[in-house]
Amino acid sequence: MSIENEFTGAEILLKALKDQDVETIFGYPGGAVLPIYDAIFGQNFLKHVLVRQEAGAVHAAEGYARSSGKVGVLLVTSGPGVTNVVTGLTDALMDSIPIICISGQVPSHLIGTDAFQECDTTGITRPCTKHNYLVKDVSKLSETIHEAFKIASSGRPGPVLIDIPKDVQFAKSKYIPKNKVNFRKHRIKAGSKSVDKNFVQELVNHIKNSERPIFYVGGGCLNSGPQASQELIKLVNKTNIPITTTLHGLGCFPGEDKSSLGMLGMHGNYEANLAMNKCDLMINVGARFDDRVTGRLDAFSPNSVKFHIDIDQSSINKNVKVDFHTNTDITLTLKEINSFIESNNIELEKKDYNKWWGQINDWRKKECLHYEQGDEVIKPQHAISRLYELTSQKDTFITTEVGQHQMWAAQYYKFSKPNRWITSGGLGTMGFGMPAAVGAQMANPHSLVIDIAGEASFLMNIQEIATAVQYKLPIKIFILNNEYMGMVRQWQELLHGSRYSESYVDALPDFKKLAESFNAVGVRAKKVSDLDDTINEMVSIDRPVIADIWVDKKENCFPMIPSGAAHHEMLLSKYDKENPENQEKGKVLV
Amino acid sequence: MSSTSVYPTPINAFKQSKRSVLSVIVDNEPGILARIVGLFSGRGYNIEALNVTVVDIKDNLSRITIETLGEEKVISQIIAQLEKLVPVHNATNLANLSESYEAEICLVKIKFENDEQDQKILNFADIYRSRTVQKRQNIVVYEISGTSERINKFLDDLNTIGGIKVELVRSGPIGLGI
Repeated sequence: MSIENEFTGAEILLKALKDQDVETIFGYPGGAVLPIYDAIFGQNFLKHVLVRQEAGAVHAAEGYARSSGKVGVLLVTSGPGVTNVVTGLTDALMDSIPIICISGQVPSHLIGTDAFQECDTTGITRPCTKHNYLVKDVSKLSETIHEAFKIASSGRPGPVLIDIPKDVQFAKSKYIPKNKVNFRKHRIKAGSKSVDKNFVQELVNHIKNSERPIFYVGGGCLNSGPQASQELIKLVNKTNIPITTTLHGLGCFPGEDKSSLGMLGMHGNYEANLAMNKCDLMINVGARFDDRVTGRLDAFSPNSVKFHIDIDQSSINKNVKVDFHTNTDITLTLKEINSFIESNNIELEKKDYNKWWGQINDWRKKECLHYEQGDEVIKPQHAISRLYELTSQKDTFITTEVGQHQMWAAQYYKFSKPNRWITSGGLGTMGFGMPAAVGAQMANPHSLVIDIAGEASFLMNIQEIATAVQYKLPIKIFILNNEYMGMVRQWQELLHGSRYSESYVDALPDFKKLAESFNAVGVRAKKVSDLDDTINEMVSIDRPVIADIWVDKKENCFPMIPSGAAHHEMLLSKYDKENPENQEKGKVLV
Repeated sequence: MSSTSVYPTPINAFKQSKRSVLSVIVDNEPGILARIVGLFSGRGYNIEALNVTVVDIKDNLSRITIETLGEEKVISQIIAQLEKLVPVHNATNLANLSESYEAEICLVKIKFENDEQDQKILNFADIYRSRTVQKRQNIVVYEISGTSERINKFLDDLNTIGGIKVELVRSGPIGLGI
């Protein structure tokens, strides 16, 4: 082999990233990745975004991946660099987001000696990645990177980490391009490539014979690609079956459509949860029966036949036993269902489920998301509703932090397209939204990217404002500022006798001045009459903006299924007038 | 329990238990055992016994045999989780196969004090056809193989002899579908 065909490990990494069409990488330099940073210095295809803390890099990569459908990539150094991304890797694993984390490691001969900035990276990240590698031989590097991309993006997507010792970054070898790598099939876990015809036939038969069917759609539909959403819309329109989505399923089906019952689960809509409880046929499309969705398991949808489409075999029968399942890609399966109905001229139109829809419309009359906006103090629900009204005509991406504001965003902001809603669901990572907005804006430079935030979450990764300013990313931070960890405060009020232990956030910064000190723009709305102007101003400024929206400090997020309760045991808000039992504390057991 | 021993067993009175023996074929690469053990501890499953050895040098494959306890639903979930691990080729519950064989090996060191004990030990060793590895003065070492139940029974029987000291090592069950 001639020397000209050999490259250093660092160069091989960059060649492989180019081969994988990576254009953006989020990272933070350090001793063990200096050779890679040296290689980045001498090229121009790859845009490196310097974050201010590694946690920012991993959430930015998640935001990039979710909003673009591509794999997000980050680069961190050994030791603290990589331990700082553990939360984000776990987040990506829980929410099935394809990301690749490249980490530097101390030189091979120092591994195991407690060297400076050494940690057992593969050991620490093993349970929080889909797979991870320690590359000890530079000749294996190209194949490892290509396999990592394949694993991250296929089947149920997830995070993959590649740990590269510093000496391997210097060592030389031949580069093997992506199309020359023979992937070993058993390592890819891509699910079945062919549609299960029996499943499709059974499902269509059950649809024909059911009285009270419902679609229950999750993030898997998103991960199957935009076409899955198209096929789903087609199928729902054809069958007139009501559809509810999980937190991550929002956007897979237009939220404003008449067939949509909105989100289900702990803070889901009254009609969605009751429909799940009373249905006789449940069609689960890429959802995983999470505890926040099912409530108490023994009372979860007791009388339904359950169908489950999920590419991940371990999601089948994990929490809820289903009657029929298929481990095939959602797009393929939905396509087959649609064409089966068409080619067999199955007339579902006549079966309008009138009685079922009548029942659902009765539940809808409850108006579970109703709130009353007074003249002065801004209701957080109103703030989100106005934000939606004033931005829905634009090409908008919404990220969130975690807590009440996140649930209000899910309830009051309506999505018509997939990949527009980027939130931390499974892990519930406070501090996710702002760096995720940085990532989403990198992937969608001409779109409007808004992080709907709470002041407590925002403070967790506030340093990334500097990143947004440096790269001129005009992200908007829309803070529902109630000076509390709102969701903690709500649980303490409802379940812990209003003993607000450590949930009040004292000594908050002045967010307007804070924005200015970062060279971003700060705006503020203190009362409802300021709200629209503040939102319009925020949207019109082509720079990073922090909007400090002062909202009602004591507002709670309803409906709510308390942890351990069942779908039909929902707490509704104090505005619920229909139920005479609704007196004390504004809550009612339905 | 569809697995039967390659060795005859004198007494059929096996204890009923919800044990399963899982056979897992994996790429023999660094960290694979940690992945599997971590999966069990992280998700709260039990490992009763574990056996790992390379079985195919050409393709660099290892077979891992795991004895675990749990209801059928839990066992299916364990298998699904195992099969999600990248280096895992397949995971099989031997009990689900129409035919499978299972064996375990055990070395038992017995310290006795008198001839009466010696006689009884010898008698059980003969019934269970265990092989004498070493015998001197008041110490005898046997090797016994068969299903785990068979070894359990042998050890139970030994324990009926008072006043002896038993020290042992077991390989954990290994098994093969036919």
